[in-house]
Amino acid sequence: MVDTLCTPFSRNLAVKKISMWIGVSLGALLLIAFVALSVMAGGPKDALYMVRYALPHMHRGNLKVGDSAPDAKLFALNGTETFHVRQRTGGKPLVLVFGSFT
Amino acid sequence: MQIFNDYHDHADFLTVYVREAHPTDEWQMKSNIKDDVCYAQPRSLSDRLAIANDFTKRFSYPVPFGVDDMNNAANDAYAAWPERLYIIDESGKIAYRGGMGPFNYNPAEVRAWLAGRYGEVKHPEEKPADGNPPKAPGAQPAKTEAQT
Repeated sequence: MVDTLCTPFSRNLAVKKISMWIGVSLGALLLIAFVALSVMAGGPKDALYMVRYALPHMHRGNLKVGDSAPDAKLFALNGTETFHVRQRTGGKPLVLVFGSFT
Repeated sequence: MQIFNDYHDHADFLTVYVREAHPTDEWQMKSNIKDDVCYAQPRSLSDRLAIANDFTKRFSYPVPFGVDDMNNAANDAYAAWPERLYIIDESGKIAYRGGMGPFNYNPAEVRAWLAGRYGEVKHPEEKPADGNPPKAPGAQPAKTEAQT
């Protein structure tokens, strides 16, 4: 009598081989991605920092052309006066340059 | 900032200082060490203002300047970090939204937008080897189009 619950040995072997190749392929892809990121970022350490600090920001914000510009309160360099972004709009086009020193 | 020099008669400019991109206590870059730009991420408004003032003084930065608050309200509203460019038109709507810096930070796109409206600004070539002075300066916009 044939035990239908048992998987033939040859089929088990095929599944193991496929799983192994999928694992190896994924590992190779990850390695290639990490090397590419390292080249782009300037080094392996920078690649890790990029994943930690930059990736979470890559798809932030959903502003698009035609949307109303959001307002925000800003401090003048003296730290005592404040103004709003929208106070600077309405006359001419306003070029906004966001950034930091580092 | 050459674009500012070229177009500040036609457009307003505002630099908004947001949280540091490469502070010493996060993702510090070797280039910043080399250039002696070493700051920890500000934990207070006074720290943030101090760095912003260092920046404007070091480069004699001519562009109007604002500093984001410690809740990072402007940064959040505009998805600004680490650097990003926008143009807001006269009706208060976004006319241009740049990509996330540094890889998609592209001042040439802002220049092209401004040039499309106010004309291209050409700059004189380097002084030629024959010792003749450069060609006449082209600091004025080549043409002025009516605003739409």
